[in-house]
Amino acid sequence: MFLRIVADSFGRRPRHKLLTGAALALGMGVVTAALSVSLDVGDRLAKEFRSLGANLVVTPQADSLPLEIGGVDYRPVNAGAYLPEADLPNLKTIFWHNNIIAFAPQLETSVAVSIYPIPVKELPTIRADRRLIGTWSAKTIALPDGGTFVTGIGKTNPWWRVDGQWFKDDADECVLGRKLASSLPNFAQGIKLKMGDTIYLYADSSVDWQSGARPMALRLTGILDTDGAEDDAVVVPLAIAQKLAGRPSQYRKLYVSALTKPEDAFAKRDSKTFTPAEYDRWFCTPYISSIAFQIQQELPGTDVRVIRKVAEGEGQVLARVRMLLWLVTGAALLAAALAVGASSAASVIERRTEIGLMKALGAGSGTVGFLLAAEQLLLAFVGGGAGYALGIVLARLLGEKIFGAAPEPSWIVFLVVIALAAGVTILGSALPLRRASQYEPAPILRGE
Amino acid sequence: MADRRATNRAMFWRIIRRLLGANRGRLFVMMLALGAGAAVTATLLNLQVDAKRRLTTEFRAFGPNVLIIPKGSSTTGSETLPESTANLIPVNLPSGRVAVSSTLYVVAGVSVPKLGKSLSAVVAGSNPLAFLIGRVLSSTPETSLNRPTPSQGQVCVAGTRVAKQMGLQQDMELVLASGDRREWCRVASFRQTGGPEDDRVEIGLRAAQRLTDLPGRISAIELIVPGTPGEIQSYIADLQRLLPDVDVRPIRQFTEGEARIYNRISGLLTATVAIVLLLTGLCVMAAMTNVAMERRMDVGLMKAIGGSMRRVLRLFLAEAALLGLAGGIIGAAAGIFLSIGLGRAVFGVAARPRLIVYPLAVALTVIVAILSAFPLRRLASIRPASVFRGEA
Repeated sequence: MFLRIVADSFGRRPRHKLLTGAALALGMGVVTAALSVSLDVGDRLAKEFRSLGANLVVTPQADSLPLEIGGVDYRPVNAGAYLPEADLPNLKTIFWHNNIIAFAPQLETSVAVSIYPIPVKELPTIRADRRLIGTWSAKTIALPDGGTFVTGIGKTNPWWRVDGQWFKDDADECVLGRKLASSLPNFAQGIKLKMGDTIYLYADSSVDWQSGARPMALRLTGILDTDGAEDDAVVVPLAIAQKLAGRPSQYRKLYVSALTKPEDAFAKRDSKTFTPAEYDRWFCTPYISSIAFQIQQELPGTDVRVIRKVAEGEGQVLARVRMLLWLVTGAALLAAALAVGASSAASVIERRTEIGLMKALGAGSGTVGFLLAAEQLLLAFVGGGAGYALGIVLARLLGEKIFGAAPEPSWIVFLVVIALAAGVTILGSALPLRRASQYEPAPILRGE
Repeated sequence: MADRRATNRAMFWRIIRRLLGANRGRLFVMMLALGAGAAVTATLLNLQVDAKRRLTTEFRAFGPNVLIIPKGSSTTGSETLPESTANLIPVNLPSGRVAVSSTLYVVAGVSVPKLGKSLSAVVAGSNPLAFLIGRVLSSTPETSLNRPTPSQGQVCVAGTRVAKQMGLQQDMELVLASGDRREWCRVASFRQTGGPEDDRVEIGLRAAQRLTDLPGRISAIELIVPGTPGEIQSYIADLQRLLPDVDVRPIRQFTEGEARIYNRISGLLTATVAIVLLLTGLCVMAAMTNVAMERRMDVGLMKAIGGSMRRVLRLFLAEAALLGLAGGIIGAAAGIFLSIGLGRAVFGVAARPRLIVYPLAVALTVIVAILSAFPLRRLASIRPASVFRGEA
C-alpha cells in the first residue's frame, strides 16, 4: 500500500515532480561541476605553473663562487667544479620520481664562432669570447628501471623560442642566439644565415685547439630567441660542449622542473628539527624542500637549491586560486541548496488537502510524514543522480576547454552530491512537514 | 472613465497584496529561492571582477618582470647607464605602482678581516636595497635592512653561498675591494633565493658607486610591473619609445609564464562563474515554476468570475516581478557582505564593491522571476469548471 501511494503520487502529478526533480538535478549539477573542478584544479594549475620553468637548481658542492651578472658567468673557464653526467638517470629513481617532469644539464664554455674555416695561420689571433651553452634539447634517457624518459631544455626553460628547429642531441648541430647570429660578419655583408649553414666553433686556446684539434663544424638548425643573455650565445648538444670544454661526461649546472605541493607552515620548518613521524610525513609529501633533499641524496657532491621566486610565487598564487574556487563552490552549493530546499518545501506546502484527506482516513502524523519523506528521498536520489551526470558532463566540457584535459569523475563527489540532495530535500520539507502533521483534517477539507 | 481606471488600479494592487499575503509559507519559500540566487549572483560577479585584478598583484611574488640595461650590453657587462634614467620611468599605472630598483654590479674582492679569508664575488649595489625576494635567513627584522641607521655604519646582505664559503656570521665586518678603493660593511642578514643572488653581496648603491668610481652610474634597472599580460606588454612598448637609448626587455620567463597562468585562471574563473550562475538561475526558475503551477486554483477562480486571461496573467507577472525585485534587493544586499567577507578571506583585502553588479543582480533576479511565472500562460486554455471539479 505504501509503495502504491508513492507510485501513485508520482504518476498523478508528473509535471510537479518533474519540476521539483529538475530543480534538484540542476542544483546538484552545479555542485558536481564546481566540486569536480575545484578538486582537480590544483594538479592542473600546478602543471601550468611549470611554464615558469625550473624550480630547482643543482650545482657542485665544491664549486667556486660564480661571478654571474645578467645571466653570464664571468669566471675563467677552468675555475670551479663539475658533476658527472652518468648520475643523471638516478633523478628518476627518487621517491617522487613521477613529479620530476623535466631536467636539463648545462655546461658553459667560451668559443670563437665563425661562418668559414679560419686559416691556420690566423688561428692564434682569434679570441674565444663567445658564450657556448651545451645542453639537451630532447634527450632520451635510459632509466635504471628499464624505462626511458625524454627531457630537455625546452621543458625547463619553456620561454626559449627557437626559429627553426632544436638540434638533435646526437648530431653535430647547433642553435645560434638571435643577437649573435645578426652580429656574425656575413650578416653585416647582407648575406643572411640559412638553416643548414655550417658554423665553425674554435675552443678556448687553453683547452683545445693549439694541441692540434680541428674546429668543430656544426650544422645550424635554428635561431634562439629568449630576450635574455642567451641571445648572445651559441647552444649545442651537451656532448659537443663537453668536447670543446675538455670536460668529457661532465656538466656544471642542472635545472630541474618538479611538480610540488605549495609549502605550508609545516614544510617551512627546518627538517632537522622533525620528529621521526614528522620526518616521514615531510619526506612523503612532494614539498619542494623534500624533493630537493631526495635529489641531493641521489646526486652526491651536489648542492640542490630551490629557486625561491618561482617556487614561492607559485605557492602563493596557487593557494589563492584554490581558495577562490572553493569559495565559488561554496557559494554554488549554498544557492543550489536553498533553491532545492525551497522547491521541496513548496511541494509539501501545496499538498495540504491530500494530507488532510489521509489523516481523515485514519493515517497518523508519523505515517503521513514518513510517506512524504520517502517520496522526497526518492526524488532526491533520482534528481541527484541526474544532476551528477549533468555536472560531470559540464565539468568535462570546462576541463577540456580550459586545461585540455577532463577531470576524473570521482566517487567522493557522487556520494557528496547524493547525500547533499537527500539532506537538502529533507531539510527543505521538514518544516512544512512538521506543520502538516499538526493540521486538523476537517478545516483543510472544508477548504479553510 | 478615469474614475473606473483608478478603481481598476486600486483593485489590481489589492489583489496583488492578497496574493502575496495569502500564504506566508509560500512567500517565504519564493523569497528564499530568489534571494539566494541574487546573493550568489552579486557575490560571484563582484568577486570575479575583483579576483582577476588581485591575481595580477599576486604575481609580484615572482619578482621583477622587466629589465632595463644599456644598449648592446651583456657581452662584456661593463657598460653602464645614468642613474637618472630611473626617474624617467612612469610608476603610476591604473593597475598599481611599478616597483623600481636600480643596481650597479661590480666584481670585487670580498674579505673578512676577522677570519682572514677573502675571495672575489659579485657585489650588487642596489637602490632601494634590493627587492626582498626569497628567504631572509636571519633574526633581524627586514625593516632594519631598508633603514640602515648611520650609527651602525653600512649594512650589507650576503647571499647564502657567499656566507657558506667564507663562514660568515651575522654582524661580521666585510671589506670590499676594487682596485685601490675600499668599502666596509656589516653583514645584516643572509638571503637565499636559489638564483644568482646567492652568490652576491648586496650593498647600498652609493657604496658600490664609490667602489667602482662610477658616481651616478648603474648597470641595470629592474621593474616589477603589475597588471594583466596585455597591460604589461603595452607598458613595455611605451617604455621602449620613452627610453630609446637603453634596452628595455621583458624577463620572458615571468612575463610569458604569468600570461599563460593568468589566462588559464581567468578562463577558469569566468567559466565556473558562468556555469554556476546559469544553473543557479535555472534552478531558481524550476523552483519558482513549481510554486507558480500550484496557482491554478486562483487562475480558475479569476476566470470563473470573469477575468480575461490577459488581465489574470498580468496580475501574476506583476506579482512575480515584485517578488523578484524584493528578493533581488535582499539578495544583493546579502551579496555585498558576502563578497566583502570572501574577498577578505581570499586576498586579505575586502573586495571593492562594483556598483554596477548590484542593479545587474536585481535585474537578473526579476527576469528569472518573471520567466518562471510564464508557464501560467498555459492555463489560458483550461476551463475554470474543470479546475474546480479537481480534474485538471
